[in-house]
Amino acid sequence: MNGLLELRDLSVHYRTARGEVTAVRSVSLGLDAGQTLGLAGESGCGKSTVAMSVLRLLPRDARVEGQVLLDGEDVRGMSWGRLRAVRWAAASVVFQGAMHALNPVHRVGEQIAEPMRLHGVTGSVSALLDQVELPSRAARAYPHELSGGQKQRVMIAMALACEPRLVIADEPTTALDVVVQAQVLDVLKRLVSERGIGLVMISHDLSVLASTCDRLAVMRHGQVVEEGPAREVITSPAHPHTQALAAAFPTVGDPASRQVTPSEGADGPVLLRASDVHVSFGATRAVAGVDLEVRAGEIVALVGQSGSGKTTLARTLLGLQKPTAGRVLFEGRELPRSASGLRAYRRQVQLVLQDPTSALNPRHSVYEAVAEGLRIHRVDGDESARVAEALSQAELRPPELFFPSLPHELSGGQRQRVVIAGALALGPRLLVADEPVASLDASVRGEILALLLRLRRELGLAALVITHDLGLAWTIADRVAVMYRGELVEQGTVEQVLLSPRHDYTRTLLAAVPHDQRSTRPNWTNSP
Amino acid sequence: MTAIAWQRRRAAARATWREFASQRGGLVGLIGLAVITVLAVLAPLVTDASGLDVTRVTARPWEPPSASHWLGTDHNGRSVLLLTWWGTRISLVVGLAATVLSVLIGTVVGIAAAHFGGWVSAVLMRFTDFFLVLPSLVLAIALSTVLPRGLGTIVLAIGVTSWPATARLVRAQTLAVEARPFIERARALGGGHGHVIGRHVLPAVLPLVFVNTTLTVASAIVAESTLSFLGLGDPTRVSWGSLLHAANMHGAVSQRAWWFLVPPGLGVVCVVLAFTLCGRALETVLNPRLKGER
Repeated sequence: MNGLLELRDLSVHYRTARGEVTAVRSVSLGLDAGQTLGLAGESGCGKSTVAMSVLRLLPRDARVEGQVLLDGEDVRGMSWGRLRAVRWAAASVVFQGAMHALNPVHRVGEQIAEPMRLHGVTGSVSALLDQVELPSRAARAYPHELSGGQKQRVMIAMALACEPRLVIADEPTTALDVVVQAQVLDVLKRLVSERGIGLVMISHDLSVLASTCDRLAVMRHGQVVEEGPAREVITSPAHPHTQALAAAFPTVGDPASRQVTPSEGADGPVLLRASDVHVSFGATRAVAGVDLEVRAGEIVALVGQSGSGKTTLARTLLGLQKPTAGRVLFEGRELPRSASGLRAYRRQVQLVLQDPTSALNPRHSVYEAVAEGLRIHRVDGDESARVAEALSQAELRPPELFFPSLPHELSGGQRQRVVIAGALALGPRLLVADEPVASLDASVRGEILALLLRLRRELGLAALVITHDLGLAWTIADRVAVMYRGELVEQGTVEQVLLSPRHDYTRTLLAAVPHDQRSTRPNWTNSP
Repeated sequence: MTAIAWQRRRAAARATWREFASQRGGLVGLIGLAVITVLAVLAPLVTDASGLDVTRVTARPWEPPSASHWLGTDHNGRSVLLLTWWGTRISLVVGLAATVLSVLIGTVVGIAAAHFGGWVSAVLMRFTDFFLVLPSLVLAIALSTVLPRGLGTIVLAIGVTSWPATARLVRAQTLAVEARPFIERARALGGGHGHVIGRHVLPAVLPLVFVNTTLTVASAIVAESTLSFLGLGDPTRVSWGSLLHAANMHGAVSQRAWWFLVPPGLGVVCVVLAFTLCGRALETVLNPRLKGER
């Protein structure tokens, strides 16, 4: 095979203070023009290192072994001048995080033109913008004037500027919400088929890769554990790690991934009720008249795109944000306004934040983080016994082992468990979880969701889970509320809303979820 | 359980020390400071304070350096070595006291402005701006002229004029810390203002305050010397500034008495340099990104 890109026995080692660390271990992959190769894996599995080694963009302390053949020529043997010519003209990169990869002080048009100028290529910025479905006047905009999806498209236009034959997209849609993600993926797919370029796509989300790629390679600990046609890898994963990754992104409508029986916890008394809640910041109306109920022992998913007002609503329900109008009732009583009343309320309702890494004070040990709430509320009794109990409820066992650990010594999943334990220590009756698994690795997501379900079963804990991920709502929720521009456009049981949606926006959201070849599109009229 | 916390703090302190000790400049500064402090503290024990009394002098005025007077004598015949030695005490005391005052005001104003926001912030920051735009030396001169002369006045004059920069710095850092989600978590757990500031903001801001303190001491000592040189210090006590003032008043230059001018000047330079070296080293420990730029 003499393809566009060929990796032969590629290994990358990093020299660190603790000796040499191997990030990539004898990886062999190939890609032809007009093909899409997906690289899947969790954070730290070496997928980005593989991608960066193609253009020799690795840091100085990296040592590369094996061959990286670009059009048959070994990148490792290229002279500096040749490498400069190859970068961008033959192969280009769509970097992760469009928010930070664009220079904020230059117009995007100039930034798209920059590689053309450097390589002496003639071309038109507006033609490039047209290819990624942006109006040509977008060239005069500064990055902050564009939305996340538009910035990501600018990055793609930039990668196409010198008409490369190979494009490497490193997590191109990770920070985007579903609707925008679907648009960006469509642009990429169209470019591959129209222009016959080769695309290497890196993602931790198997469903994104499944919907765009021909071939799929799954990486773990620097090695490719499974490789093959995307369809085969998804439908009949051979390696347990691939199975875990596939299970972490459930398909809406697939009964196998639903972990709740429909009747469970639907008839408890109403715990929290929001009636006609409005929140405005100046002229912007973040929440515009929301009525929502959470019953005891019930898991409600609040679904919507970013910017739909989900988080503001959650903060209002927690009493962290005063509603401009409307009322929030807990067990029939209005939320207290006084500091001491709110403090008492917080023993009943607790918050779990999106990113456990930043939600824990890096200077506090696990013990201090969990005991923080107990100390604030001056809870009597044996503090360390309560902390140990909360930690073991959050499945950190044996708890004493974790007491002195600092957050940076723990894995992402363990950190989220500490946050949950901190909330549990106060014995709340409702958890408000804001994107509880969005920043976690695929294999950990399932565990955290299982933990929420177990807490509901064993402690009768109700939860309001805020998410942009419909698959997550399908997995654990009893009821779903769909939020759009500050309003709840639809709510009802999971089966009603996700299988037979009535509102257009819910349909748009469902259509935007990447569909893989595992199951056919669910039939909207039939409930399972 | 506090035992765990203490153990960890000790370990953190050891790590900080190792990092600090790996920087030669900081170590030199620290040793310099230690020597100067020990000398200042021991002055009353090692030397005879009666040598400062003009009525008891035995030597002739303007005597050049010799074996009996290593740094010569001043216009009254007092030993310049002795004067400089005793001047260390006042310079250090004023420098440290004024810094404590300034950093205290700055930290309180900075944290309060950032934490409470809204009109509190507006009022406090306009107040800060007012002090920031006033020429601080002129303000200090005005203050020490109006208030009764003495050590307290000069401390007050320096402290009250040098806090705005600290306040701005602390406010910026507090804003950065308060934007972190763990503050939101602490609020959701039920923590009030006291809890958020005491448990989360202050520990995160203190290292910065500490660095700022060491750098402020240097400028406070210079300020003290300036004010004393202008004759606004405590006339009954010897400080480096007042020595320079005396040298200037009594015509040390026309007498070609370099030995009267150089020692207090060098004293100021040494102490300021030592504090600055320490401050820079601490800054590098706390912000490792600075390391590469050396």
